[in-house]
Amino acid sequence: MNGFLVRVVVTAGAVMLCSTSMAAQTNPYTANAELSPANKAAHVRITQGPTLELANSNSAIIRWTSNNPGGTDEHFGVVTYGTDPKNLNEVAKSHIRLNRNHPYTVFRVRVDGLQPRTTYYYTVDSMEGNGSHDGVKGPIRHFATR
Amino acid sequence: MTSGWRLGIQIRCALLSAPPVVSTRNDNSRKGQSMNRRTLPVMLVVVLCVMALCMSLAGRKVSAQNATAPPSSIYNPYPPGILPTDLNSELARVEREVDFIEAEAIRQWHALAPPVPTGNPPILKGTGVASVEILGKLMNYDKNISPFKNTACSSCHMPYAAFSGPIPSVNLTMMAYPGSDRFRAGKRQAQRYTYSSYFPPLQYNATQGAFFGGNFWDSRATGYKLRDPAGEQSQGPPLDPAEMGNPDSACITYKLSLAVYRPLFEEVWGTDSFPSSFPPNIASICATPVGAAIFGGSATPVMLSPDDRTKSNNVYDHWAQSISAFEKSLSVSPFTSKFDAFLANKYTLTAEEKAGYDLFKGKGNCNSCHLDGRSTAPAPTSLGAVDTGVAADTTPLFTCFGSANLGLPKNPRVAILYESTPDSFGFTLNPAGFTYTDFGLGEFLRSGYETAANPNSSWTQFAPTSDGQMQTMTARDVALVPPQCTGGTDAPGPYFQKEFFHNGYIKSLKQLVHFYNTRDVYPYAVESGHCPAGTVEKVTCWPSPEVPQNMDMTVGKLGLTDEEENQIVAFLKTLTDGYTTPYPDINTYTGTCMTGGNASTQGNSTILSAEELRAGAGARLH
Repeated sequence: MNGFLVRVVVTAGAVMLCSTSMAAQTNPYTANAELSPANKAAHVRITQGPTLELANSNSAIIRWTSNNPGGTDEHFGVVTYGTDPKNLNEVAKSHIRLNRNHPYTVFRVRVDGLQPRTTYYYTVDSMEGNGSHDGVKGPIRHFATR
Repeated sequence: MTSGWRLGIQIRCALLSAPPVVSTRNDNSRKGQSMNRRTLPVMLVVVLCVMALCMSLAGRKVSAQNATAPPSSIYNPYPPGILPTDLNSELARVEREVDFIEAEAIRQWHALAPPVPTGNPPILKGTGVASVEILGKLMNYDKNISPFKNTACSSCHMPYAAFSGPIPSVNLTMMAYPGSDRFRAGKRQAQRYTYSSYFPPLQYNATQGAFFGGNFWDSRATGYKLRDPAGEQSQGPPLDPAEMGNPDSACITYKLSLAVYRPLFEEVWGTDSFPSSFPPNIASICATPVGAAIFGGSATPVMLSPDDRTKSNNVYDHWAQSISAFEKSLSVSPFTSKFDAFLANKYTLTAEEKAGYDLFKGKGNCNSCHLDGRSTAPAPTSLGAVDTGVAADTTPLFTCFGSANLGLPKNPRVAILYESTPDSFGFTLNPAGFTYTDFGLGEFLRSGYETAANPNSSWTQFAPTSDGQMQTMTARDVALVPPQCTGGTDAPGPYFQKEFFHNGYIKSLKQLVHFYNTRDVYPYAVESGHCPAGTVEKVTCWPSPEVPQNMDMTVGKLGLTDEEENQIVAFLKTLTDGYTTPYPDINTYTGTCMTGGNASTQGNSTILSAEELRAGAGARLH
């Protein structure tokens, strides 16, 4: 390393050494762009939840855990909901990033624009960043706003 | 950022190679000499343009002041408490430090061996890399580039702060840094240079359904032309009205032509790089900040021939490439942290650091976005567990190059919210005042308010789903501070006050981790400064997000204990460069460190009521 050793004097009068390496060197790493998608899981199953994490008068957060679905790192949790369990006509989705090193994935979906003191029914799924669904199956659940 | 400011009155006389249509008052006496050399048709067009300019200026009822000296009074549209009381002395301190490092760079240049151009195209054998890196360093610390010769790139990006904001009181209060025209200031904190040059050009990945790459918080330095986002980033601040504020990129070319290091520039980029001539009034034009009413909205007030304009543009591209080379050099991005030593089996993480790393990969889930490039096996979660993972096929840059809306509350201290009235040059930075909302990447994709033009129309469709998203910075060097501030970034110190995230709302690493951990545990539908009684802002109360749509839900309720938060902070400190090799120029801080308080409430004493600030801003606006 052909660095420079420069003796400097700062205003306080202290003498300090600054080593500034400016000569021909190479960094130990090369840049890679983002990784290609991971392999998709054969089946995506919910292992915890879904459950209501938080609710107030006009919004709620639904949370569940599944095995790691794989596929694109950019992922979305999807909640399909409505006030009639036979007509779930609204969809909310929230972004998460998968952690490839985790065997599990926690999904959390923010549902906004709700009515106060109202019961909502919902199902959950997850999907890749390109819109491809993971095919999560589960019963209809419900929660109530404040 | 600059092009968005140029949507005003455009007087297109530049195509005619005529004398400057837009000139400062000091140049009026020279105009006659110049016009005598022109033909009659050109003179007629010029007269028409001048008339149009006069009409436009008359309509504005503003006057530009003498452009050859800084304005006699500072621009201060701010309510009490926004500007720090020590601002002038701290700006002066940084100027001294910048000059010191510039002098060091000049010595480094002079110490280079004589160039030996070899081959075709010629390569500076043996000295080429050092030459371009030192050239970039010389540019980075050159105050003369700014209109009032008081602001270098490094004025907001000093090495002892990992090339981010060097003034603790600014980091604590107004958040954005004063420009060359004191005190214009922008909307976001000075982003760290470190490892920014590793970001690829901005691209939309259709498989992932997301954007990756670019530079700046909103990724507007796309790298679309130079294929070098960090280089294109360096072309922003010299022309940004809230930063250096040059009125024309030709001003940077002109100032480089006068620089003491011009020989090095020509050695690297060619002896015929510079325009053959500059107009006689260029010094005066380039001493007037962009946006001055006297320019009438022109983006190119410096009149150059087409050939010279092309040369000037090329010089500005070489400015970009030189600074990018410096940023990617080992002087800025050296991979010399404890973590790098750990990867090389030359450092053993302490128990706290190891616990923090396990949490970073495990319960905290930080490395879902801040990729460590490390494990390909499930992260062990218990203390003492063996990490059996092997290095993955990615660089441990601690970023995924993506963007996310983390749901930061609006910071009512952001300087730009108050710049809704004209400064002494007749320029209004932010007519929207306090109503301004920072939509980040989404706003850029629209070529929207206070951002740059989007160079790819196919990206615009993704603006709504990108609103609020800001770049995921590398976590490397987030904790880098001057060595004398031995307590790091956090109270009780001695600490160096930094600011975190795009709007500087967070003031300590403890708060940063706590925000990720509890954003959705303590949400309150209030503005900053209005947390309910019995709660503590940033501890048990998080005000509403500035942009509620597209919020990332990977974070918000991680379930970390207080101790676990501290362990992650301990791990973040292992990402500070300078462990295996001293970090260049880190010893140049001549300010003081702060002491006292605690990290959880650090900076809370400076919180102001958003409601009162908004009311005051509204009163000024109307």
